[in-house]
Amino acid sequence: MMSIFDALIQLVVAFFATVSFAVLFQVPKHQYAWSGITGSLGWLCYLLVNQGYGSVVIASFAATLLLTAISRFFAVWRKTPITIFLICGIFPLVPGAGIYYTAYYFIMGDNAMAALKGEETLKIAVAITLGIVLILSLPQKIFRLGLHKDRF
Amino acid sequence: MENENSPLEVAVLAGRILLSNGAEIFRVQETMERIAASYHMETFHVYAISNGIFACGTENGVPHTAEIRHVPLAPVHLGRVAAVNQISREIAEGKHTVPEAFALLHQIEQIPFTADWIQILASGIGSACFCYLFGGSLVDCAVAFFSGLMVYIFVLLAGKKRLSKIMTNILASAVAAFCGLFLYQLGLGHNMDRIIIGSIIPLVPGVPLTTSIRDFFNGDYISGTIRLIDTLLIAACIAIGVGAVLKIAGMLGIAVGVPV
Repeated sequence: MMSIFDALIQLVVAFFATVSFAVLFQVPKHQYAWSGITGSLGWLCYLLVNQGYGSVVIASFAATLLLTAISRFFAVWRKTPITIFLICGIFPLVPGAGIYYTAYYFIMGDNAMAALKGEETLKIAVAITLGIVLILSLPQKIFRLGLHKDRF
Repeated sequence: MENENSPLEVAVLAGRILLSNGAEIFRVQETMERIAASYHMETFHVYAISNGIFACGTENGVPHTAEIRHVPLAPVHLGRVAAVNQISREIAEGKHTVPEAFALLHQIEQIPFTADWIQILASGIGSACFCYLFGGSLVDCAVAFFSGLMVYIFVLLAGKKRLSKIMTNILASAVAAFCGLFLYQLGLGHNMDRIIIGSIIPLVPGVPLTTSIRDFFNGDYISGTIRLIDTLLIAACIAIGVGAVLKIAGMLGIAVGVPV
């Protein structure tokens, strides 16, 4: 089981990982911290679910649910498009490792492993898709939480 | 060519900035419709796809003003998307006349990208952080940091030389794999796979994937498909670039390690 200390380090590293993508995608400076928080909480959720449940696909799904909900809340609260938090926050979950291992085994001639990794990569992509779509389907007023009574 | 007094053109300009900087179709169309309604256009219709906008409307009783814009797929600039969002709110609140809105939107178009060295540094830090998150050791992270720098230096150079997107992604991921492999062979780092995974992360198609999902969600299937193809192509390019380097290394008799 992960210690509190490990979890804190993972949170901090995921925060900086996400912020560096916020920089690459030209997010306004005053939103850096909030997109970082979105990414690090999503990553922590991924780690915990993956440890408890032992499935990267389920973990990606759960983490996407959480971070999309956080993004929607931030979008309302910070009065800015949800894209800003969602795109940066989703990055730790995008299956970069899956792409690598699929290519690796394919090149090494281990087609069975390549197919396995390719399938897992696709499943993670579908899990992320489902997570985003589910949370986007919820009515907007849930995320307002008493903030901004006006139309936005 | 632009008519500074035309609400239609303000709407089209706002839509074009949104679309070319990474907004999803729904936001583009909704923003344009909101601007048109705020300026009391009698009718307004817009159809947008990932790389084009078609709009027409009636202004002051003059019908048939049509606008067609080709919007090339360009680098993402979310700062501009946020800025247009802000302006469109203000237009809806009646704060800006049409010429004012024009001037503001032109300013947004000029918001610069952050300096190259900051982007390169961000790529390095991002690579190092991801290397750590995927279980790399501290030395691995240092190597990934270096590879991440090299990858983005290459990406920016390729952009300036107008290299095609496909070749950029193949070669940039080859650079990532080469740096990782080379430094690993020099005895730096413990896990070559984690180093390479960290350093290809700046290339991974997270933005088109997310945008594609959101376009599909809103029923914009054509645009969703365009972005999805973009996503799959980039992923394939990364696989080809990394794979080619590993294959060549293998043929030269260099052990490329066994991933855990």
